[in-house]
Amino acid sequence: MKLKTLLATTSLVLTCLVTPVTHAAGTLTVALHQDPGNWDPIATFLVAWGAVGSQVFDGLIMRTPDMKLVPGLATKWEFLDKNTRLRFTLRQNVNFHNGEPFDAEAVKFTFDRLLGEEGKKGPQQSNYNAIEKVVIVNATTVDFILKSPDPVLLTKLSGYGAMIVPPKYIKEKGSQFFGMNPVGTGPFKFTEYKPKISLSFERNSSYWGGVPKLDQLVYRFISEPATQAAELQSGRLDVANQVPLAMIEILKKDPKLTVASMDGPVALALRYNTQRGIMKDREVRKALTMAVDRETIIKVILLGHAKPIASFQGLLSFGNDPTLKPLPFNPALAKTMLQKAGVKPGTQIQLDFRGPDSNFREVAQAVAGYLQAVGITVSLKPYETNVLLNDIIPNGKTGEMWQNAWGGWTFDYDNTAYAMYYTKQRWNPFDDDAKLNALLHTQRNTWDQAVRKTTLQEISRYVADQALEMPLYSLNTTYGLNKRAQNLALPADGRFRFVDATVE
Amino acid sequence: MSGFLIKRLLQAIFVVLVVTLLVSYAVRLSGDPALMLSQGAGSVTEEDLQNIRIGLGLDRPFLVQYSDFLASALQGNLGLSFLGGTPVARLIGDALPATLALAFVSLLLSIVVSVPLGIKAAVNKGKGIDQFIRIISLVGLSFPNFWLAIMLVLLLSITFPLLPPSGWDGAISLVLPALTMAIILSATNVRLVRTAMLETLSAQYIMVARSKGLKERVVLYKHALRNCAIPLITYIGLQFGNLMGGLVVVEKVFNWPGLGTLAFDAIASRDYPVLQGTVTVLAVIIVAVNLLVDIAYGLVDPRIRNK
Repeated sequence: MKLKTLLATTSLVLTCLVTPVTHAAGTLTVALHQDPGNWDPIATFLVAWGAVGSQVFDGLIMRTPDMKLVPGLATKWEFLDKNTRLRFTLRQNVNFHNGEPFDAEAVKFTFDRLLGEEGKKGPQQSNYNAIEKVVIVNATTVDFILKSPDPVLLTKLSGYGAMIVPPKYIKEKGSQFFGMNPVGTGPFKFTEYKPKISLSFERNSSYWGGVPKLDQLVYRFISEPATQAAELQSGRLDVANQVPLAMIEILKKDPKLTVASMDGPVALALRYNTQRGIMKDREVRKALTMAVDRETIIKVILLGHAKPIASFQGLLSFGNDPTLKPLPFNPALAKTMLQKAGVKPGTQIQLDFRGPDSNFREVAQAVAGYLQAVGITVSLKPYETNVLLNDIIPNGKTGEMWQNAWGGWTFDYDNTAYAMYYTKQRWNPFDDDAKLNALLHTQRNTWDQAVRKTTLQEISRYVADQALEMPLYSLNTTYGLNKRAQNLALPADGRFRFVDATVE
Repeated sequence: MSGFLIKRLLQAIFVVLVVTLLVSYAVRLSGDPALMLSQGAGSVTEEDLQNIRIGLGLDRPFLVQYSDFLASALQGNLGLSFLGGTPVARLIGDALPATLALAFVSLLLSIVVSVPLGIKAAVNKGKGIDQFIRIISLVGLSFPNFWLAIMLVLLLSITFPLLPPSGWDGAISLVLPALTMAIILSATNVRLVRTAMLETLSAQYIMVARSKGLKERVVLYKHALRNCAIPLITYIGLQFGNLMGGLVVVEKVFNWPGLGTLAFDAIASRDYPVLQGTVTVLAVIIVAVNLLVDIAYGLVDPRIRNK
């Protein structure tokens, strides 16, 4: 009897305590996996910053979710003087959230800061080194004086370090304060930042690009994907930026929820250590690639949330060649090729991967299984991620194969290919190929995008022919969503911009 | 007593120093924050990385960095987070109350549950109720804390949406994480109370108390419980260290804005100052609690106080 009374009382108290889980009208709540800790565009280069940056700030150029470069704070731009001068005409009657006017002075200040001493301390500067300086022509026109070609520059001007900041505000309050209390020209105005907990915005009613429909926008920092999923299920979240693969089907079954899965920037490959043992032989490397059924791995382990690739880039990447097909899965041929190359059955190789990456652990096990079937014994070596990235790879201490995951927000193969294949780059500990170097150099030093695309595609074919890696797949970007949130215009690179979003 | 305390205090300071030294050194062996900070960057060169390292002061020798940390820590300045430059003291100041609240409520909840249950089991030694309580506690002991946490979320936030699954939305948010910790703690505490109680109950003074005709409740709670308090306090004090360790995991699952989540995320991003600061504060707390346990002996047991 006593127990029953106790239970009854407890449940009564609980029911009273629980406030109904509702959202204020017009407030969108978004989960982010990390708190970058600073909202200054030049302070960090974290994906989590990008997820917020485009709500507060604008660049001169903007990139739409379908990868088009469109006018932002600049209404038009043109290259002058044989591509050594990039002229921007600025949008007029735009103000920062604090009332400060946006003008040529603000553009110059932004880039002086990025390219000067302050920018040097952060990770953004090197991406904009092609710019020598910014010159004010008049109040609504600025010239970027360029010291070297950078074919990706326009894209880079649409995000991260190139976001335009308010000069007077920063001079008065200092960078540290600015980093905690960001002010931009974007669709949402900063209201409150609780480090490691949340970040809140209200709509910028005088936004030049149309008044946002949401009243408020709240980001909550939740680093555990399973916790993001639980919050979504309990109706306290509208957008989860990371959900565990295994939860996707469960979320889809919930009538209130949905999952968006789209081509993303991140590609995965097993890079080959071309200086070790049997891996020196190109035919062996090709055989290993052909021995692994990548389609089945995508279907079974990644539950279809990835795409097969023939080169180390996603399908949206500039330089991706749709006519280049992945090497087919053909274990019989692979076996013959290995035999021909004199590889003895039972030969041992090692695969290094990021231990905490539980999805990839399964992929690695599957790869080991497929290779076992053609007579290659794979020992799996999990590393703590930092150790693998900071020591094992750059110092060339890997086994025969190593996991590499790569993807940049620019969606440009240049970013990947240069870092992966140019001699002595951090991610290229093993190869030194003059032809590749020349190709990489050529595409980086031209403004002609058509020529560049051809060159990048040639690079991808050359790398495939040399079998420098086993391209595995390009991962989809997935978001868990509450159906009451509409018109989210979800971007593949996680750089949200909720101008037209609504919450029912 | 005071000589004993001074000795213990010196030991405590030594322990804290060694812990900070080990943590500061070990974390620096494990990865480069510059790389973590430029994670999304397209074309980071070695030179950029070096610039970031210089900006963070990581180009200086370890001992210089460590002594700098110590010197400013003594003045209450724990440095700036590598992620964004928030003062570590502020981050810890925000997180500490959340952790202490969770630890305190969990411990309290576990004591409230486990003391009566333990006594009940001891008094009914060998009977059905004793067996039942022991089996339940064994089940509780077998739960990994993160699994239990996830199951509770599944049950009480998703299947029956009664409680928020994570974060801090007022006192209601405390229920799930505290319940998780309390279940884990109670499982051991029940067994401990039972054993201590059994030992005490066989003592002669209990027989005397009973033969005086005292009520059973008075015998149990006044005479027996007080006498078995010493091992209990010792154990609960020691448990505090484990509790903090367990909290790191439980906080993480519940996205509890406490020291555990702070430390966990700091490890992931190689945020040395935050990690150093958090571990130092945790070490000070654990050492302080142990010191308090020593003092509590004196309060509870006059024999120690008067020695």
